[in-house]
Amino acid sequence: MEPDLDFHTLAAQTDATEHALERAPARLKSTIYSAMVQRQVSTGPLLSLSAVKAAGHALCVFEDAVQAIPVSDRVKAMNPCRVCHARLLAERFESPPIVWPHCPYVQFHRR
Amino acid sequence: MSPSDGQGPQLVVEAPTPCPAYPMVAEERDLVAAVLRKDRKATAEFVSRCADPVYAYVRQRLAPRVDLVDDLVQEVFLAALESLEGFTGGSSLRTWVLGIARHKVVDYYRARFRDDEIFCELDDDLRTTAEFPRFDELIDHSRLVEKTRRVLERLPEPYGLALLWRYWERRSAKEMAVETGKTEKAIERLLARARTQFKQLWEAE
Repeated sequence: MEPDLDFHTLAAQTDATEHALERAPARLKSTIYSAMVQRQVSTGPLLSLSAVKAAGHALCVFEDAVQAIPVSDRVKAMNPCRVCHARLLAERFESPPIVWPHCPYVQFHRR
Repeated sequence: MSPSDGQGPQLVVEAPTPCPAYPMVAEERDLVAAVLRKDRKATAEFVSRCADPVYAYVRQRLAPRVDLVDDLVQEVFLAALESLEGFTGGSSLRTWVLGIARHKVVDYYRARFRDDEIFCELDDDLRTTAEFPRFDELIDHSRLVEKTRRVLERLPEPYGLALLWRYWERRSAKEMAVETGKTEKAIERLLARARTQFKQLWEAE
């Protein structure tokens, strides 16, 4: 018998690209999201929160407050999550005590 | 004679048949366009959609090095962000990101096997064991996946990575040798040891 045969069968039956049984930890999703947004910020401003809202996305209570105040688009393009405790908790704990709606970090933990 | 004068053969232009995958592809293109506009909510959606399959893939392919999984998954997403403009919608977003993950995993294998130490640490015990167990006797597929993962995690890193590269990534020993600068014989020897130890652990489970 060809020595490789059983390993080929086992690999085919357990390949994670076909059978993704495992979910990414929510804290990892949070970390990845933070890193991606940071990378986006490093090459220029984010889309302003007003434009994000206009595109049909719901904002969290803090983002909504930032987009509602009469400040320049430059300020509205900043990332309030950088200074939000929800991000810190979400990146460190699998079930953090953050509950308000439309926060991306809360959504990672709910899915 | 024009095709529309009712005399000659009619030129029939059929409406294009909608591709069943089209709505999803169009929706994914919209999502990618929004990420490129730096819409943070779209970026969150991108992570939500792709993190599970990428994590499952990297977790399996790096089974003997669980400690590296999170960092590599994050690298995959940052690389995807860098090349997102190249996403054409020719495949699903999931498949496209998994392609990037595959490159990252193989880069890791290549780097590890170029390290000469990995070949010095090998166990010389080449005793063969009994026949490999029949996988189809394990009815429960999730148990099969779990057991395979446990065994791969318990193997010494060079053995686990060699098996994953050869069988799960479907690379020949010759290709592995070319990519690592080792001889094909050295790779074959490594694989033989890896198979033996895998079988021993499998039977001991």
